[in-house]
Amino acid sequence: MSRVAPLLDLVTLWPLPSTFLSYMIGLALKMLFGDTAKYLMLVAGLFFATFLIVQQASVFCGLMRWTTATLKNVAAPIYVVEERVDQVNETNPMRDTDVARIRSISAVRWAMPLYSGIQRVRLGDGSFKTVQLIGIDAASLAGAPGRMIEGNLEDLRLPNTVVIDELATERLSSNPKDPSTKIKIGDQFEINDVEARVVGICQAMRSFTGGPYIWTTYERALSYTPSSRKMLSAVIAAPIAGMTPDQAAAQIERETGLRAYVNQDFGANPRDIATPKGNKYGDFNTSTVWWYVKNTGIPISFGTTVVIGFIVGIAIACQTFYAFVLDNLKHLGALKAMGMSNFRLSIMLIVQAVTVGLIGFGLGLLATAGFANGAIANGQPPFYMPWQIPVAAFFAIQLICMLAALMGIIRLSLYEPAMVFRA
Amino acid sequence: MNFLSKLLRYGSIAAAIFGLVAIILVSRTQAERQMPPAGDPPVSPPAKPYPQAVAATGILEALSENVAIGVPLSGLVSEVTVKVNDVVKKDQVLFKLDHRDLQADFLSTQAQQEIHRAQITVNQAQLAKLQSQLARLTAVTDTRAVSQDDLENRQQDVLVAQAQLTAARAQLTASEISLQRITLLIERLTIRAPRDGSIIQVNVRAGEFAATSPKNPAILLGDTEKLQVRADIDEQNAARIRQGQPAYGYLKGDPKITFPLTFIRIEPYVIPKTSLTGASTERVDTRVLQVIYSLTRPTDPPLYVGQQVDVFIEAPDRIKTP
Repeated sequence: MSRVAPLLDLVTLWPLPSTFLSYMIGLALKMLFGDTAKYLMLVAGLFFATFLIVQQASVFCGLMRWTTATLKNVAAPIYVVEERVDQVNETNPMRDTDVARIRSISAVRWAMPLYSGIQRVRLGDGSFKTVQLIGIDAASLAGAPGRMIEGNLEDLRLPNTVVIDELATERLSSNPKDPSTKIKIGDQFEINDVEARVVGICQAMRSFTGGPYIWTTYERALSYTPSSRKMLSAVIAAPIAGMTPDQAAAQIERETGLRAYVNQDFGANPRDIATPKGNKYGDFNTSTVWWYVKNTGIPISFGTTVVIGFIVGIAIACQTFYAFVLDNLKHLGALKAMGMSNFRLSIMLIVQAVTVGLIGFGLGLLATAGFANGAIANGQPPFYMPWQIPVAAFFAIQLICMLAALMGIIRLSLYEPAMVFRA
Repeated sequence: MNFLSKLLRYGSIAAAIFGLVAIILVSRTQAERQMPPAGDPPVSPPAKPYPQAVAATGILEALSENVAIGVPLSGLVSEVTVKVNDVVKKDQVLFKLDHRDLQADFLSTQAQQEIHRAQITVNQAQLAKLQSQLARLTAVTDTRAVSQDDLENRQQDVLVAQAQLTAARAQLTASEISLQRITLLIERLTIRAPRDGSIIQVNVRAGEFAATSPKNPAILLGDTEKLQVRADIDEQNAARIRQGQPAYGYLKGDPKITFPLTFIRIEPYVIPKTSLTGASTERVDTRVLQVIYSLTRPTDPPLYVGQQVDVFIEAPDRIKTP
C-alpha cells in the first residue's frame, strides 16, 4: 500500500483547488510512469501505429508523385495534349502543325513542341538500359531542366548532345557500384544506335518507370526515335500576362479541341468536371495520379497497410491501457472512495492516454524521419510527406488513445468504491 | 532499477520531442529537393507582335523564286565561270559544257567548204575552157568548115558547165550554213543567265557530268537582294487569313532577330505539308495554305535563303473571346 501514500498527501491538500489540477496531473503521470513495462508496451503500440501510418502513406504519396515526374522535370504552366490523353506517361502524338495552331491563340504567350518517350540506351559493354527521353525546342530551350549541376545548357545546340540527370550518371555507367566509372561530361553512349554525347548533368526527379531522364533538342529526339507518322507528344505553353493558366487552357480547349491541362500540383482545380465516363481534371498532376489510382493496385495495397496500422494501434493501445486501468483499479477506487468524482478521475485517465499518445507519436515520427532521410538521400524508395499526413496521423493516434481512455473510464465508473475495502 | 526506469521515462520523452523536430527537418529537406516551379524558358521566346495572330512556319526564298538552271544536253562540264554570291547580268556565261564533238564536226565541215570552193574554181575553169572553144567555133564564118552538130554540142557543153558551177556554188552555201548550224549548237552548250540575279548555289564543277534531270540543279540563281518568306498555315487556321494582313518574322534559332514582312500574295492552291520543322520523314496528313511575304534583306544580322522562320500574321480570332 505504499503507493497510496501520495494519495493521502493529495487529500490533505484538498482545500486548495488552484494547485489541485497540477497535483492531479502529477499523480496521473506518476501512476503512468510507475510501471515501466506497461508504459513501454503502451508507447510501443502507438509508436508502431504512427510509423506504419505515416511511413506507408508517405511512400504511397511518393510513388504517386513519381508518376508525375515528367511534369515536375519539364516545368511548364500549360500542357496541351491530344483530346483523349489522361496521364502524362501515356500520350497520343499530335501533328507538327498543332504547335502553330496553339501559338495562334491569343491567350498563349509562347508554345513550344515537346517530345517525351521511353527509349533504349546501349552502353559500351553492349547492355541496354531504358531511359526517359525528353526533346525540347532548340531555340528557346523551353522545358529544360530547372537545376543544372554541371555543364552548360546552351551546349545542347551542338550536334549529337544530351543533358542527363544524376541518376543516369550511375545507371548508364559500366559499373554502377564503382564511382570512378560514373558518366561525366564528354562521355558518349548510343540511343537507338545514334551517338549521344553528354554536355550537362542536371538534377531531376525520378520517374515511375525508374529510367533516368535525358534531355535533348526536339529535332534530335526525333532522330533518336524510330520514325512514326506523328511524333509530337505534347505542346508546352504559357499564358499571356494578366491571364491565369486556367483561363488560357480553357481558351486553348475551346479553339483547338485539344486537351489543355495546367501544371500546378495535385489538388482541386476550377476546371474539374464530372462526366458520365468519369471525372475530367483541369490539372495534369491530378489527372495522372487519379489514372494510376483507378488503373493500378497501388492504392489498395498501401491503403491496406495504413488501415492495418490503425487497427493494430487500436488493438494494442486499448488492450494495454485497459490492463493498466485494471491494475490501478484499487488506487483509483481508493480515490473514488475518498470522494473524488468520476469526472476528475476521467480527466486523470485522459491525461494519461494523451501523454502516451504524444510520446508514441513522437517516437513514430522519429523512426519515420530516419527512414525518410535514408530514402531522400538514396532517391529510393519513393518518399513524399505532405503536411497533411503527420497531422492526420496525430489525430488518428489521439483517437486511438481516446478510445482506450473511454474503455478505462467505463470500467472505472462501474467500479464501486466499497470494493477497495472488501479484499 | 530506479535509474533505468527514469532513463526510459525521460529518454522516451526526449526522443519524442526530437522526433517532432526531425520530421520538421525532413519536410524542409523535402521542400528543398522539389523541382523549381515553372518559369520562363532559358531563352525567352519571341513576344507576339499582335494580340491576335496566326502563327506559321516559313522558309526564306529569293524574291520571284529561285531559278534552278538546267542544261539542254547532258554532258561533261568543261568550265564554270561563276562563283557563289556572284552578281550576274542577263546572258552572262554561267558555265560551259564539253563541245569537242561539235568542234570536230566544225573542222570537217570547214574542210568540206574548202573542197567546195576548189570545186567552184574547177567548174569555173571548165566553163571558161568550153566557152573559149565555143567562141572559136562561132568565130569561123565559113559555115562549111564547122558542122552544125559540132556547134550545137559545144553550146550544150557550155550550158552544162554553167549548171555545174551553180551547183558547186550551192554546195558552198550549204556548207557555210552547216558551219553556222554547228556554231549555234556549240553556242547552245554555253549556259547563260536567263535574267539578272545572284548565284545562290553552284552544284557543278569542271569535269563533272551535268544531267538533264538532276537531283540538285546545276546552279541556283535568284535575287538575294530582296527575299521572300513562304509561310505554311495549317488548313484549320486558313479561314482567318485575308489578303494584305501584316506579319512579322522571327528567325528560327534566334528569336531576338525579327523583321517586318510585306504581303505579296496567297497561293491559291492548298498543298500537302512537306515538313520543314525537323521531321525525319515527310508527313502528308495535313494540308497547308501558303502565303508569300517579301522583306528587304537586312545587312546585320545577315539572312540566308533557305533559313526557317517563325511567322506571326495579324488575324482576328475565329471565335470571339468572351
